[in-house]
Amino acid sequence: MAKVSPLALGSALAVALVVSITVAVTIGPADIRFDEVWRSIASHLGVGVSPLSELRDGIVWQLRLPRVLTAAAVGAGLALSGAVMQAITRNPLADPYLLGLSSGAALGAVSVLLLGAAVLLPLAAFIGALLALTLTLLLAGSLGAITPSRTVLAGIAVSALASAITSFVIFWSVTGDSYREVLSWLLGSLSGARWPAVAITMAAIIIIGIPVMMTGRLLDSFAFGDLQAASLGVNVSATRWGLLGASALVTGAMVSVSGSIGFVGLILPHAVRLLVGPGHRALLPLSALLGAVFLVWADTLARTLFDPREIPVGIVTAMIGAPVFAFLLTRRKSST
Amino acid sequence: MSQSNTRDGKNRRANIAATTPGEESGLVAERIRVTIDGTLLIDNVDCTVARGSLSALVGPNGAGKSTLLRALTAVQAPISGTVQFGDEDLLNMPRRARARLAAFVEQDATTDSAFTVEMVVKLGRLPHQSLWEADSAESTAIVASSLDTVGMTDFRYREFHSLSGGEKQRVMLARALAQQPQLLTLDEPTNHLDIAAQLSVLELLAELRGTGVTVLAALHDLSLAASYCDHIIVLSRGRVVAAGATEVVLTEQLIADVYGVTASILRNPVTGKPVIGFSPAAP
Repeated sequence: MAKVSPLALGSALAVALVVSITVAVTIGPADIRFDEVWRSIASHLGVGVSPLSELRDGIVWQLRLPRVLTAAAVGAGLALSGAVMQAITRNPLADPYLLGLSSGAALGAVSVLLLGAAVLLPLAAFIGALLALTLTLLLAGSLGAITPSRTVLAGIAVSALASAITSFVIFWSVTGDSYREVLSWLLGSLSGARWPAVAITMAAIIIIGIPVMMTGRLLDSFAFGDLQAASLGVNVSATRWGLLGASALVTGAMVSVSGSIGFVGLILPHAVRLLVGPGHRALLPLSALLGAVFLVWADTLARTLFDPREIPVGIVTAMIGAPVFAFLLTRRKSST
Repeated sequence: MSQSNTRDGKNRRANIAATTPGEESGLVAERIRVTIDGTLLIDNVDCTVARGSLSALVGPNGAGKSTLLRALTAVQAPISGTVQFGDEDLLNMPRRARARLAAFVEQDATTDSAFTVEMVVKLGRLPHQSLWEADSAESTAIVASSLDTVGMTDFRYREFHSLSGGEKQRVMLARALAQQPQLLTLDEPTNHLDIAAQLSVLELLAELRGTGVTVLAALHDLSLAASYCDHIIVLSRGRVVAAGATEVVLTEQLIADVYGVTASILRNPVTGKPVIGFSPAAP
């Protein structure tokens, strides 16, 4: 039974998201007031308000707002991908990071960044994510039926392999200062996010994420496995590969701007399940909203906690996510 | 249905000839072959289930009962063969339309999710709904009446995985009923249940037959199959070795041949139905 009405939670999260974005933009070394955030946005949208000074407007419009919006989109995309993968693999521990997608996407992106391959960065990240996912599922399948623990173990193996190759590429080609930059990107960082990053991530959410959010009923049919889904008239393999491919695409787009940020896809769908129950029609959009709010704040912490030094946001999400992951493991003692 | 009782399968074709095809014909499967990972599990099976009957599919472990049931409703499609139900070609019709016509209850269904009983039964409405429309009043009413039919209305907000085996089986049956099927196939619905729960499931199936649903269930307990089912299909090593009216098919000789045990067919003094007693080795 639903503990909280999904509609009420959705409305609350939508308000929280708008407030979080505004507040996050005000936080930082230079003090920006709420009204200045809205004045800057309004003036750039062509509404007749008095613009800010060029310096303050630059801080809001050029630096903080695109970064905060990117954080929201990346959080939404990763949480949505996690929720979809958990349903399709019937694995509550599934997450783009754990199943090797993030490492695969990072490998694709690093190859483009450092080796100068003539492919677009998001495309390379997507191909990397898709290859890693395919490899994980093939490996899990070669061990027998695709069970949750086999999938996670296969994901760890694929992730380790992709990370090793990524490290090799980095040590081979990185020199001097760029090392720190690449490392921070690998740990997951939004420090470089500007308007092109907003465009890539928002496009992924709107073009792929929103259609995926409409598939809740299909995902529900997988609750008892493939046979039951098939007996309910669902095209099991088309649905599975279509939705896993869409998750890989979204993850690839997110990783291409943020690096691999772990655990967002794991912990937020679980939080939403605790609040509204396991039905996917509510779970998918609410996970995306909560993921957006979560990453806006995680990134705000990452850039202010040790001010003036900034830490990669992936460290913040891992600090929060690893204990939650451990807790989820202890709740599943009995199952394989 | 014919009353053939053959071992070698040569007369299997006769089973079909006994049923006239057309509006009122039930399930007619011909030349079904299923391979899984290169192994032939179902070898050229023909079988029929009369419309509105309750039929049992029996046979030793590994005979291919589950595989055949899955093939008949195209949950796992056979490599060749045809399956007709009335005028519909079950293997070649659109998936959603098929799911409105035929429901399948798998063996020992389990889930990790915290789905409530009501949510599980609602899954049965999937073939009747588009992805994003709200639940219609009609759908809600069908879910409620399906829960009522299996006597699980009071459990509707309980989490599925907290139920007993018998309760779970009744919920899965309600889920199948919510599909409003004309054909219902079940894979060992009495598996792991205590005797009271077994009888309650079979009573439910008998009740459904009364409403015109054609029911085919894989069963292990031959006495229960004999007391509840009109017809019986005996499967051994991927082939149909006998099929027909239960009392005709189920002989001591057949049980000895198929299961390799000595059976004595007795009469239940209360119901007058056959009861089968066993001794270990075949004569």
